[in-house]
Amino acid sequence: MNPRSGASQLFLASEGLYRRRRLANRVMTAVMGIAAAIAVIPLFLILFYLLQKGLRGLSLDLLTQDPNRPGRPGGGVRNSIVGSGIMVGLATAIGVPIAIGCGVFLAEFGQNRAGLVIRFLVDVMAGIPSITVGLFIYGLIVLPQKQFTAFAGAVALAIILLPVVARITEEMVLLVPRSVREAAYALGAPRWKTTLRIVLPTALPGIITGVLLAVSRIAGEAAPLLFTALGNQFNSTNVFHAMDALPLRIFVYAVGPYDYWHEQAWAMSLLLVTIILFISLAVRAIFGSRVTVRQ
Amino acid sequence: MTTLFRGRKGPLLWLLAAAALVALLAAACGGDDDSNTPTAAATTATGGSPAASSTAGTIAADVGKNDKADITGAGSTFAAPILQAWFDDYNKLVAKGVKVNYQSIGSGGGVQQYTEKTVDFGASDAPLSDAELAKAPDTLNLPFVLGSVVVTYNLDGVTKPLKFDGATVAKIYLGDIKKWNDPALTALNPGVRLPDKEIVPAYRSDGSGTSFVFTDWLSKVSPDWKSKVGTSKNPSWPAGQGGKGNEGVTTIVKQTPNSIGYVELTYALINKLPFADVKNKSGAFVTPSIETTAAAAAGVQLPADFRVSITDAEGAKAYPIASYVYALIRTSSDGCSKYRPVVNAFWWILHSKDASATASGLNYVPLPPETVAKLDPALKALKCEGQSALPQ
Repeated sequence: MNPRSGASQLFLASEGLYRRRRLANRVMTAVMGIAAAIAVIPLFLILFYLLQKGLRGLSLDLLTQDPNRPGRPGGGVRNSIVGSGIMVGLATAIGVPIAIGCGVFLAEFGQNRAGLVIRFLVDVMAGIPSITVGLFIYGLIVLPQKQFTAFAGAVALAIILLPVVARITEEMVLLVPRSVREAAYALGAPRWKTTLRIVLPTALPGIITGVLLAVSRIAGEAAPLLFTALGNQFNSTNVFHAMDALPLRIFVYAVGPYDYWHEQAWAMSLLLVTIILFISLAVRAIFGSRVTVRQ
Repeated sequence: MTTLFRGRKGPLLWLLAAAALVALLAAACGGDDDSNTPTAAATTATGGSPAASSTAGTIAADVGKNDKADITGAGSTFAAPILQAWFDDYNKLVAKGVKVNYQSIGSGGGVQQYTEKTVDFGASDAPLSDAELAKAPDTLNLPFVLGSVVVTYNLDGVTKPLKFDGATVAKIYLGDIKKWNDPALTALNPGVRLPDKEIVPAYRSDGSGTSFVFTDWLSKVSPDWKSKVGTSKNPSWPAGQGGKGNEGVTTIVKQTPNSIGYVELTYALINKLPFADVKNKSGAFVTPSIETTAAAAAGVQLPADFRVSITDAEGAKAYPIASYVYALIRTSSDGCSKYRPVVNAFWWILHSKDASATASGLNYVPLPPETVAKLDPALKALKCEGQSALPQ
């Protein structure tokens, strides 16, 4: 056997192999690319559809007027915007401190059995359907109080926000490098001071990102408010009374009999998506590179 | 990976400050509201000045004009537009201090929340059943408006309204009549060319007062329906497709050729759906309208507790698929602060000419004065804090 011809045969064989691999590589890249494109197509379709259907109903009145009585076109949804703002703000005020405390505990003091159990429970909590949370708060707060209240709605939203923020806080705190902590210890700082003054501030941008993402999630929830805040066609700022919210009003208007209700439901959906998109973009703009985690 | 916070504190602090400000504002708004809108504890509901309200022994429609209260009611989806319109008028034109918040959670939900006392009143397309009444015995089932259910369809080339009778509709929904050119249908509609196509019946998948009225009528006109399915807000339908709400049924009917469905008259009128003339008890084919719905109510004697079905009513002009819509109010209450404004608001709804005009404008059927006269004693008997809620 001629070694040269053997080598050239080997070369030819490897050439064929190389070509085949290159082809497979290209085909698979194309398949992944198409999959990625399909994955984001719905987002653009939703945005396009919302713009097409919602722009018509969008007006200054929609933001500044309370609903007209049914059957009389015009009016706005000021009550729903105000209600959403109050309930989401209250839910954030209730949920975020607890969630951050929980996250810090899991990251700093949770490397044991208790931490394992709590981490598991928080994960289970994140999986509870939001309608179930609403029903739970209905039983816990609404039934004993004999009154639908915005407060109950805010508590339901806080429960949905809690596991999201807790887990993100844990991740962010864990990302703080060991060397930073050790530097603090070396300077004689006790553990609590290190956690409070060094670790938390370092992790804060990531935590705030998590909070804002959780806020944009609860801002779009209708299910937990159905049996808690109930809704209100009047503008009410009393948290111990029934209150309206944008997702609730979208739900009511979308299945209602009047055409202008449908139009306003589309406009409200556009408004809600715009607000959520704005929050996401603001997060990126403010925290930029620090949002993305690099190892 | 060292992503230290130092040096870029600026935007972060701004954001935190903004968040704190929002929270403070929300709290401040809540506080403000408590102080200048007397609600709950601070409410002092006055029953209207006696001089203005009881002229010549009658109670004025606007008896509650000086009331102050935030009230919550919930229930019937069908009655939601008219109740919200009434309460909007009531707040703007009659009693500026009274905000009655009414949310449409469905008749079933309304009964449930009323029984749990989480709302100040409920509204339902059907009166409380005996079992429901056992859980809330001190209840006034107060009819306040009339509604009717129409049979709608999607058939190409049919221009004038189809004609149906109860037995045929029951057979369609039982799945016994499968095709549009069934002899039963062609006999009812001479001169109309009905296609050789399968009928697709659409029904309400959610618990609904509309389904209750529709099945109540079918049970009266078809023994077969009564034994196999019966009257229910949420029956087990033998055939067809389910849709949520009037909207869901309408969508199915609009998108499915050769389909048939049932929706509220108001809904059909607003959405310009075709609807059928239906044969009534005296054998006449009646077009659903405000007049024929009122005629159905006139054909039935109102019993002492007002719980009555007016489907398949007597009278040549009576449309057979009609019903009262009921407000659920307790007959007595320990406190007057929220109770009296509720009673006064319904007094206005039943007695004010403006309220009747609003109802007609929205294609709802207000109760005729003769019927209201029968309700008055029950309203006057309502008590709070041991006294009559309305001025005597």
